[in-house]
Amino acid sequence: MMLGSPIENIPVGPRDAPASIYLAPSLAAALGALSEYGAAGAPLAGGTWIMRSPIRHEPLRTHYVAIGRIAELTAVRIGSDAIEIGAAVTHAALATALADLPEFAGLAAAAGGSANPAIRAMATIGGNLATSEFSAADCVPALLCLDADVEISGRDGRERIGLAHFLAIRSTLAPGRLVTRIIVPRAERNTAHARLPLRRAGDYPVAIVSLSVRVDAADRVQAARIAVGSVEPSARRWPRLEAALIGHPLDAAAAARRAAELTDEFIGRDSVDAPAWYRVSVLPGLVRRAAIAALGS
Amino acid sequence: MGFSLTVNGDRLSCAADPATPLVDILREEMHLTGAKPVCREGFCGACMVLIDGEPTPSCLLPAALADGREIRTVEGLAPLGMLNRIQAALEASDAVQCGMCFPGMVVSLTHFLTTRPDATRDDILMALTGNICRCTGYERIVEATLLALASA
Repeated sequence: MMLGSPIENIPVGPRDAPASIYLAPSLAAALGALSEYGAAGAPLAGGTWIMRSPIRHEPLRTHYVAIGRIAELTAVRIGSDAIEIGAAVTHAALATALADLPEFAGLAAAAGGSANPAIRAMATIGGNLATSEFSAADCVPALLCLDADVEISGRDGRERIGLAHFLAIRSTLAPGRLVTRIIVPRAERNTAHARLPLRRAGDYPVAIVSLSVRVDAADRVQAARIAVGSVEPSARRWPRLEAALIGHPLDAAAAARRAAELTDEFIGRDSVDAPAWYRVSVLPGLVRRAAIAALGS
Repeated sequence: MGFSLTVNGDRLSCAADPATPLVDILREEMHLTGAKPVCREGFCGACMVLIDGEPTPSCLLPAALADGREIRTVEGLAPLGMLNRIQAALEASDAVQCGMCFPGMVVSLTHFLTTRPDATRDDILMALTGNICRCTGYERIVEATLLALASA
């Protein structure tokens, strides 16, 4: 059952425009509306991807449910064991919330360095994760390194799954389902996020390397999680490089050399902004940069 | 059912499609042509307006989400014909070139001056990553911003 009235389209003849945008006042109202609309509806958070649908020659849905003003979805809760990020938290708000938590330096860099200031104030973390066509999302590899879970809600309940599993199924989520929270466990670790845009800032990154390591008293790597974004259609971890770092001191040059030996497992994606081979070829350099940043965090 | 927009202090009703980008309503219905729809992707900043005081690319904001919010365009930044601080500094620094990016630059920098009074040159450069000048006239724009900061 919806609260309030959806803003209706005025019929003016055939056009590529949705019939309504419903500004949901609560999560229950949003889930109810998404359930009622079914496949004809979709959530609308920051709008930075959906509003560019015409440029991609993609049709808009018939109904959108705007979730950006729902208090439950716009909060970051920092607990002693985990942080919980509402799906409609913007990149700017997330970067601000994590500013004093060194263990999340990589995620803060991802959220605070993506796109440009105005986009960071609009684009949401939930949108970044749920948009399966967006290969260059910064927060996806950063969260893969942090062992994050994703909460998905529907009118009938909610479930929590690992981020890697979510990435595998996100394009086939049933209508009426909504990403509502991202849960990230807290741990002692060094994290970093290295990206290569074509300009110094403001562009999509050609490639991304996110890194999370835990080192022992002798500075040897005890645990490592490394994720690569923007190179392939979806971000994923780099298990062979992770294994290669275990037991050794974290040395940026050595890590880059090992990365260069292991890049053959990536099949880059071709696009107007960068060819496939180039995306793969910059990975060792980004591994080096990420290691240097992690050592300094 | 339409919705209402508050633009530069004036409350206006609107019957556009709810997903219409705000920039199109500002330009086509309200004839406020300062905001420019250039890239329509949020990269260039030429359509920047203030929404509840925050710089926002109006090409990416569906009109329905502007309902009930305070919209200020570049036309609303110089009330009674008095230039604001950044406008005066840009004029004094002879920084204006073709004019395509300038309304967006003025909007972004008007906000920047109020929120970052202690900003450095690097801060200015980072703040302008979402405002692209096709004339590449950044140096004078940055100099003008430093001048405006110094004159506060």
